[in-house]
Amino acid sequence: MSENNNSTCNEKAFDQFFKSHSKLLRNYLYYKFGDLDQAEDIVQDAFIKLWSNCAKVPLDKAKSYVYTIATNLGISITRHQKVKFKYQDYVIQRNTDVNNESPEFIALEKEYMEKLKNAIAALPERQREVFLLSRIDKKTYKEIAELSNVSVKAIEKLMHKALVTLRKKIGNI
Amino acid sequence: MLNDKKDDIFLSRWVNGELSKEELSEFQSHPEYQHYVKIMAGADALDLKNYDIEKELSKLKSKRRDNKSGSIIKLWPYFAAAASIAIILGLFLFTPNKSFSTHYGEKLIVILPDGSEMTLNAKSVASFNKDDWDKNRAVKLEGEAFFKVKKGSKFTVITDNGKVSVLGTQFNVHSQSYLFEVNCFEGKVSVINNENKEILTAGNAYRNLGKTSEKWTFSTSTPSWLTNTSSFRSIPIRYVFKELEEQYNIQIKEEGLNLGYKYTGTFPNDNIQVALKTVFSTLGIEYSLSEDGKTVVLEK
Repeated sequence: MSENNNSTCNEKAFDQFFKSHSKLLRNYLYYKFGDLDQAEDIVQDAFIKLWSNCAKVPLDKAKSYVYTIATNLGISITRHQKVKFKYQDYVIQRNTDVNNESPEFIALEKEYMEKLKNAIAALPERQREVFLLSRIDKKTYKEIAELSNVSVKAIEKLMHKALVTLRKKIGNI
Repeated sequence: MLNDKKDDIFLSRWVNGELSKEELSEFQSHPEYQHYVKIMAGADALDLKNYDIEKELSKLKSKRRDNKSGSIIKLWPYFAAAASIAIILGLFLFTPNKSFSTHYGEKLIVILPDGSEMTLNAKSVASFNKDDWDKNRAVKLEGEAFFKVKKGSKFTVITDNGKVSVLGTQFNVHSQSYLFEVNCFEGKVSVINNENKEILTAGNAYRNLGKTSEKWTFSTSTPSWLTNTSSFRSIPIRYVFKELEEQYNIQIKEEGLNLGYKYTGTFPNDNIQVALKTVFSTLGIEYSLSEDGKTVVLEK
């Protein structure tokens, strides 16, 4: 029963770990599976599992552990019910970023944003995941690559594809 | 560039600002450029419903608690050796404020709500609040106890002589009238009394006796009393007598003896004859045990 601040079983270390990783995990699960409430439930379940196995999972492995657990949970849930990507109520608009646009843009904005959100919802899962991790969570390609265990190059390709797909979907508005 | 089938990461590089000057100005004059700028502006304006991390964490903690079912009592191997003494297992189930006490010669193992263990030595009293335990791991103690604390939030032992705080470790606290002694067996503990604040690491002990404090090191891994031996290190004999009285439920009639005399040594807790002989012969004191075995009279 040695006191070890770096153990996952150490409550402080665990809390700290939850605080620094739960939000991104929740967003990641949402982009992947399309339901934000469900994503938050999965986060809870994954971290409970981590806690009950804390002795077996060292802190430096804990991140990939919760991502694996959570992704598997998400897959087993969505296998039974095909979830359509839900963006209403979940995706909101930051007010600040678009303000310095031209008046025409602002007039167009509402309609445009709806279209954009629809287009994002219709993206293939992997493209949507990469696109939103980059745009909403401001993650670098390298960070995104680490999350899903693929190369940076693969992420760059997906990002490029996502933009091309969106461009096609939105058309000339 | 944009339509170049070979450059399948062109837009990614653009988003990251990695295009060369020429590439960028070429892209900017392309009819598609404005559309992509717009997509990016729109996407960058998106955000998600807020995630309340603190709320989610406390939700997690309450679920974690529900998942735990009852307390499991474990008897540690070395207690098997102590078969001669009644070991009573304390179970706490109903009232929030739990109190445990031991009589002469008794030991008591108490499993605290988080699974931490407290072993009370003879003639000791300990209490804690069960309902408040998650927020405040605190035990009030009079007498002597050995603790094995599960990792977690701060764990405090409160005595009249001072406080001992730890995060997760094994330590022994002995507190009675003027004596306050703490031995740390694992991890780190902090000891606070009126005069001092001491940090003890494994193998270190602290004692406050009236006005004097001292620290020393030791090499045992558990307190000797767990294996039925009381041991003393340079301590006034009044405390040795008190321990004899508590272990054997006897009264020692000491008349005109200097109780400040220092004693270093051990005595067994399961054989009164050996115990008395060990203590008094080293002190060079003649003694006799009354017929009912309740009183020891000392002769100078």
